[in-house]
Amino acid sequence: MSTVTWITARGLFGRSRFLMLLPLPLVLIGLAVLCRSLGVDPGQWGPPVLVGLGLAVVLPVVALIVGTGVLGAEIDDGTVVHILTKPLPRWQIVLPKLAVAAGVSAVTVGIPIYVAGVLADSVRLGLALVAASAAGALAYSALFLALSLVTRRPVLLGLVYVLIWEGLLGRFVGGTRVLSIQQWVIALADRMAPTPLLGTTVSVPVAAVLTALVAVGFTVLAIDRLRSFSVAGETS
Amino acid sequence: MSDATGVIHDIGYQRYTGPRLGRRQVFGALYLHGVRTVFGLGRSAKAKIFPWLVVSVVTVVAAGVTAVRSQIGEVVMTYAQFADAMSWLVIFFAAVAAPELVSRDLRSGVLPLYFSRPLPRGDYALSKLLALVTALWLLLGGPQLVMFLGAAFTTNRGVRGVWDELLDLLPGLLYAGLWAVVFASIALLVASLTGKRAFAAGGIVAVFLMTTPVVGVLSILPSATVNELAFLASPPTLVGGVGTWALGDALTQGQGGGMPIGDFGPVYAAVAVLLVAGCVSLLLLRYRKVAAR
Repeated sequence: MSTVTWITARGLFGRSRFLMLLPLPLVLIGLAVLCRSLGVDPGQWGPPVLVGLGLAVVLPVVALIVGTGVLGAEIDDGTVVHILTKPLPRWQIVLPKLAVAAGVSAVTVGIPIYVAGVLADSVRLGLALVAASAAGALAYSALFLALSLVTRRPVLLGLVYVLIWEGLLGRFVGGTRVLSIQQWVIALADRMAPTPLLGTTVSVPVAAVLTALVAVGFTVLAIDRLRSFSVAGETS
Repeated sequence: MSDATGVIHDIGYQRYTGPRLGRRQVFGALYLHGVRTVFGLGRSAKAKIFPWLVVSVVTVVAAGVTAVRSQIGEVVMTYAQFADAMSWLVIFFAAVAAPELVSRDLRSGVLPLYFSRPLPRGDYALSKLLALVTALWLLLGGPQLVMFLGAAFTTNRGVRGVWDELLDLLPGLLYAGLWAVVFASIALLVASLTGKRAFAAGGIVAVFLMTTPVVGVLSILPSATVNELAFLASPPTLVGGVGTWALGDALTQGQGGGMPIGDFGPVYAAVAVLLVAGCVSLLLLRYRKVAAR
């Protein structure tokens, strides 16, 4: 475990604002338990809870806050200089931070979605959802980490992607679903545990290849951007 | 040591003896500055990107709807449905605007400067709130005006048609006002809790997005009462419920699509009022005491 990993994890957990993330998973578990205890048909509550809340809201929002936080917060308050001036290759800075971001997001999302998946259908569905959302967390984290190096407003740009591209266009314009991490996660989970609860138009090989491509591509981009990173003051 | 040889020269400093503008002018200046901040007016091009992105998308949609209506003669969406359809963009706009209004002041620690003026605590918060309400209302009302103009100029029933169209527009504008008030009070409250714009934006979006699926789940529970009260759980559907109750057919213009709220219309109105009142009083409470840094 490198020092960068340690610093990043402490920067993430050491502040009270990390507690802001907790309500999201709790609502997910709470709704699943409520529906199960009232005996509602899983075919009815499964899609809104698992996909509508879990994969479409909790996963991207948690990944956005964590993914832009691991490096973006340091860039924001200027302490990134301390890491950049150490004799470390850039990939040794980016990769540990990416690992922490993806790991934290995967755990934060994985536990509630496993519980919800088990309550909805079976342990198999729960495990499939955990695996797929972990892959999704990696892709999202790589994307948002790269965003925080490319632009000074990574959260807003990330929100544009999550809200407008995946949320608005994904619902009305079917073609954009091929380029949506959310749909890839659904496709992967559906492949590992076929149920009528999950449905998507994206084929599984496309989803798998694109997820890997996004994860690797944006990591390489982040390393490259950090190589020629210029420290600037607060923008207006 | 010799005697003090320093001299204080009179270099002509004078007291200001002109009229002093009062509390209302401070409020007005802060309000106007707030509205300009939201749209990035008087600031760099970077600050204009996100607000004007949303404005242009909304306007393009309105223009498209108008074009379809004038060419095919089919009403794609009514004024109120337009506000509903744009809800995600409104959320995003609020997430961009609210942190700009309050989080920047918190982060740069200028609040003690503001409050060393004859500016009551409440006025600061209320002027910011009013600015955000105005901006959100303009965001929804402007495109509705575009739709109205398109419909008014293509009507084939003369002045009568324009008048009917105007009667359709007014409830739509009222409804947009309701959207603006509810969204602004929630967004500003969330944003005033943190000095980091990024975190404020994430928090606002999380609040709005997290509550939407709750409605979906509550509306399929095996209880008619819960189903009809389900729309209380999320701000956008709460506004829709109030609109369905208060404006009724004026909102949907006989196209259907209102929310199945049963006989609970007054409950929706009461909850909306309570929600706004609660958010505003929490906001005022939050500015009772501010840290210098």
